Amino acid sequence: MIEVQHLTKRYGPFTAVDDVSFRAETGEILGFLGPNGAGKTTTMRVLTGYMPATEGSATVAGHDVFADPIAAKRSTGYLPETPPLYPDMTVREYLTFVGKLKLPASVGKAERTSRVDAVMAKTHIADMANRHCSKLSKGYRQRVGLAQALIHDPEVLILDEPTAGLDPKQIIETRALIRSLAGSHTVVLSTHILPEVSQTCQRVVIINKGRVVAVDTPDNLTRQLKGSATLYVQVDAAGADAAPVLSGLDGVRRVVELDRHEQMVGFEVAADADRDVRRDVARLVVDRGWGLLEMRPLRLSLEDIFLQLTTDESGNNAPPPESEQPHA
Amino acid sequence: MRNAFTIAGKEMRGFFVSPMGWVVMGLYALLFGYFFMAHLTYFVQQSMQSQMGGGPININQFMIRPLLQNVALINLFLLPMITMRAYAEEKRSGTIELLLTSPVSDLQIILGKFLGAIGFYAALLAVTMVYVGILFAFGTPEWRPVVTGYLGLLLMGGCFLSVGLFISSTTKNQVVAGAATFVVFLLLWIISWLGQSAGPAMAAVLEYLSIVWHFEDFSKGVIDTKHVIYYLSFITFGLFLTMKSVDTERWRG
Repeated sequence: MIEVQHLTKRYGPFTAVDDVSFRAETGEILGFLGPNGAGKTTTMRVLTGYMPATEGSATVAGHDVFADPIAAKRSTGYLPETPPLYPDMTVREYLTFVGKLKLPASVGKAERTSRVDAVMAKTHIADMANRHCSKLSKGYRQRVGLAQALIHDPEVLILDEPTAGLDPKQIIETRALIRSLAGSHTVVLSTHILPEVSQTCQRVVIINKGRVVAVDTPDNLTRQLKGSATLYVQVDAAGADAAPVLSGLDGVRRVVELDRHEQMVGFEVAADADRDVRRDVARLVVDRGWGLLEMRPLRLSLEDIFLQLTTDESGNNAPPPESEQPHA
Repeated sequence: MRNAFTIAGKEMRGFFVSPMGWVVMGLYALLFGYFFMAHLTYFVQQSMQSQMGGGPININQFMIRPLLQNVALINLFLLPMITMRAYAEEKRSGTIELLLTSPVSDLQIILGKFLGAIGFYAALLAVTMVYVGILFAFGTPEWRPVVTGYLGLLLMGGCFLSVGLFISSTTKNQVVAGAATFVVFLLLWIISWLGQSAGPAMAAVLEYLSIVWHFEDFSKGVIDTKHVIYYLSFITFGLFLTMKSVDTERWRG
């Protein structure tokens, strides 16, 4: 479990992290989403005890990061943005060294060796055991970094951009590995790749300019932002003037024409939240003989949410297409 | 302490798997060998002259003592190369994040790095013992001043290394660390030169501060607690500064 309360980190006059609070429950994968320079790495570095915070508190697996750093570090595995490898060590030597540092003194040599073998198998690097770290490809470096974080079987895993720089196959493998770790570990991972969050994480913290903008499940975020159930309805040319009729339906708040071609016209139909107007819309369209070509729920992709949440409302950045003003 | 030894082992290993460690060791042996030859030739000349005049001259006094004093000069040039990587390289490559987020205290990391550096330095001194061994094979020097001489060298080197460690902890750049360490070593050596024109009281103070001055008694076979305490407190102070520097770095991020 991780609990962060009112965490603030200033570098001189610059505030990198500003009053950030969030929780990650045991066994959960929490995504830390934000553009570059949002304060993700700084927050993670505070959580791992790499640097102290200016204000606020952080607890990892029940240990206060500032008051009891050694105990907190013992229950934390950390993969920094650049895997911290020693180029002149082989993978096995490196993991043995990290094992000596991180495993408790009671763990003997034989047990340590079996831990090293276990994490190498888990992260699929056993075939590189005797290769020097300097000779590894980016994908292997990342996985050795992950193996290093796992070596002492920590309660909490903190992964800073674990899939950055990997090829698509490696990304899929790494995500599957991270998902398989949930349950027994609490995982916090940072990323600026949006699909990663929806595919890997149970909850998302969106952070921008050092502040938490939103915390929720990927699904809820999508729903909440939209504020209402929205449908995309496409009818043939006969229904060219359907908009006013559709808006007359009970529960429909607004109808916007999205696209119009010779043969068809498409509308965005926004209904009140928690109200399913699909049957009514379908019946109406069919009754009028407009020819229903397509009807599907419109959802904001996480990408849209991300852009909405992190775009300055005062700024001139145009909102992404097919999205409304944030409801919240 | 176990963690400190783990890190010391990693540091030592780092010297012996990198070409740099072997280059430093080779250069150290080369320079020591040169001084050995020079002093030996001079000593042979002297003893021939003295045989015509009086009795034989003392090999400890005329050969081993100046030879060991010359090691300070070799240290001046080569010890910065041992410590310049210590922190700078870890910071540059990001491995410092591994050390600082492992369940290890700052003090353990610093002690580990210091022990690793002094361990490698001890290996360098061990190589030079081969030369001194030749003197024992062909002559009959006193062994006690040799032992105290090496003890003094170890302590003197420890001072240099603790300062070097501190300087390395302040920068990411190895070259800057190396150059700055060299300059500071040099200043700590020649600080006593000012004393000659600064009046007797000041001269005593400056002489006391000079790292090399404290070595003289060791090379004569005397272990004076005054010098031991000077060296040990110097090392402690260097490590203390390193600790503060690492801590400061954390706060600044």
